[in-house]
Amino acid sequence: MISFYFGRLMEIFPFFLKGLWMTSKIAFISLVTCTLIGFILGIFRSSDSTILKRLVGVYVAFVRGTPFVVQIFIVFFILPEWGIQLEAFTAALLAMAIMGSAFICEIVAGGINSIPKGQWEAATSSGLNGIQKLRLVIIPQAMKVILPPLVGQYVLLIKDTSVVSVIGIMELTRVGWVTVVRIPEGLMVFTLVGFLYFIISYPLILLSNYLEKRMAA
Amino acid sequence: MIEFKNVNKWFDKLHVLNDINLKIPKGEVLVICGPSGSGKSTLIRCINRLEKIQQGQIIVNDIPVHDKSTNLTKLRAEIGFVFQQFHLYPHMTVLQNVMLAPVNVKKLAKAKAEKIALEKLEQVGLTEKSAAYPAQLSGGQQQRVAIARGLVMSPEIMLFDEPTSALDPEMIGEVLDVMVNLVSEGMTMCVVTHEMGFAKKVADRVLFMDEGKIVEIGNPTDFFDNPQTDRAAEFISKILTH
Amino acid sequence: MLVDFNFRVILEYLPLFLTGLRSTFLIAVVSIILALITGIIACSCRISGIKIIKYPAIAYIEIIRSTPLLVQIYFLYFGLPTLGLRIPEIQTGILALMLNSGAYIAEIIRAGINSVDEGQIEAGVSSGLNYVQRMRLIILPQALGVTVPPLLGQNIVLVKDSALLSLISVMELTRCGQTMTSERFMPAEAFLTVAFFYMCIYFCLKALADWSQRKLIFREAY
Repeated sequence: MISFYFGRLMEIFPFFLKGLWMTSKIAFISLVTCTLIGFILGIFRSSDSTILKRLVGVYVAFVRGTPFVVQIFIVFFILPEWGIQLEAFTAALLAMAIMGSAFICEIVAGGINSIPKGQWEAATSSGLNGIQKLRLVIIPQAMKVILPPLVGQYVLLIKDTSVVSVIGIMELTRVGWVTVVRIPEGLMVFTLVGFLYFIISYPLILLSNYLEKRMAA
Repeated sequence: MIEFKNVNKWFDKLHVLNDINLKIPKGEVLVICGPSGSGKSTLIRCINRLEKIQQGQIIVNDIPVHDKSTNLTKLRAEIGFVFQQFHLYPHMTVLQNVMLAPVNVKKLAKAKAEKIALEKLEQVGLTEKSAAYPAQLSGGQQQRVAIARGLVMSPEIMLFDEPTSALDPEMIGEVLDVMVNLVSEGMTMCVVTHEMGFAKKVADRVLFMDEGKIVEIGNPTDFFDNPQTDRAAEFISKILTH
Repeated sequence: MLVDFNFRVILEYLPLFLTGLRSTFLIAVVSIILALITGIIACSCRISGIKIIKYPAIAYIEIIRSTPLLVQIYFLYFGLPTLGLRIPEIQTGILALMLNSGAYIAEIIRAGINSVDEGQIEAGVSSGLNYVQRMRLIILPQALGVTVPPLLGQNIVLVKDSALLSLISVMELTRCGQTMTSERFMPAEAFLTVAFFYMCIYFCLKALADWSQRKLIFREAY
């Protein structure tokens, strides 16, 4: 019986590859947008402006304080009520961007804040303007602190893409869910799904561990 | 009391201890010096088996240290060890630091252990600091607590691994004073140090190491005034001029 | 948009939300305790020198960390029945949360133990303390200070993770939002209320974590 189902599973394997492709696509687009927005918000969060700090703080608290699945429901169900029509795919990317950028923002702000005041003062004395100070002096040093947790966060984000399956996007987890209805071998189906996630995220985990060791030295 | 017999040790390919033969009789104060990386710290760390050796034998009080059957707990209780970086336990008070081994290794009653611990703290002149945490003490005070922690098990041997190297100059004296007092009590001591004043004053012998070998060993006057090898002469001139 | 926000319906559903809140709370507490036990065991195996328990522990931790929780939940939910194990959804869910958080907790504890200076261990060895005594008297008390804040952080994560149990129809907070949405089709009211309750839990746990950060990282020693 098991080998029968295994045969069936292999028949529909291309279906899984499609799911993997969808997962990779969502993950890649999200990582890029999250990183961009996250850095901008992180710079705001570590700035001297109290208003900016507070605003970003509220945003981060909302995202960190609620489950991602609830955030997806809010984006997917509520925005249309307010007149903003979204396709599931766009809604998924939007939810990922909102969630991921808040976490990356905290990592970036932590990195910037870890740089001693003297570095800012030295850069100011050299006559650099605000952006130059960040770009030439502060961020390059802060990267040492930012990089290891950032890669770790990437792993979390990739795994979080599984949750967008709830709004019907045919990514890897959804493929597993649909398959298990037809092939009632839950262990087999989700071992395959898990294995495909493992292939994407494990190299990043190793990279994160490596960076942590190297940056600590 | 302590005997090294053809001891060899390697860190990967680095030959850190090269055919060491050495006898340290009871009551002797041996000062060990040499350039950094010469193997002097490793030498004393082998005595209480903080490091393993690959060849040879080290015998302390007739016990082969590196034998599998050796009761290390008992052996280590007879050897006090003082580290360069003190290594006091930051989450315990001074008194708790000193009491830890008597209570947990010797299984003494708390009250008894406390009494002994306070005696040892008095010996290093820190009774009034017994309730403080290590972070509240100066480096010199921390190192004196570490010495009290080493003494509390009534060891027959005390090993010191550069006890004053991590200290500010004005604190070195207080630690050396405590050590000199120990010498007058007849303690067997091995001290890795570059404090030549201390060596001249109390050492019975000075051992000079380089590249894992014992290059020279003799009484302090001979060693400092009349070194037998070029390497020792060069080393002495370097530490005296800086 | 907030003008026609229907507070009356929220009030009507409030008892449902409160039972949901209660069950989220219970799921979290039970899972946290079980995860802590799992984490301590996994970490002990992970740092031991015995290969036969060390490598399975590594495999467990790495597999959990590199696959999504939702997949782990589905794995148990659809997989256990094929093994002939039919247990209620809520227990399947707690099992998944326990295994998932346990792996992360194992790594948190390991990081705490590794953060204790090597010299501390040598000092303990020199005093003649055995392995268990060194762990109990020197390493764990110091590791605790660094471990508690991230452990509380993991609890926050676990509470949020428990929302995924709604997808295997466990009647917790998020599931209540889904129920209200399907019955009344008022997703805004439903999910913003759900979000509000999660925020309340979050702020309580966050305050606790911040407080512990200040209190428990004792006397910045070195």
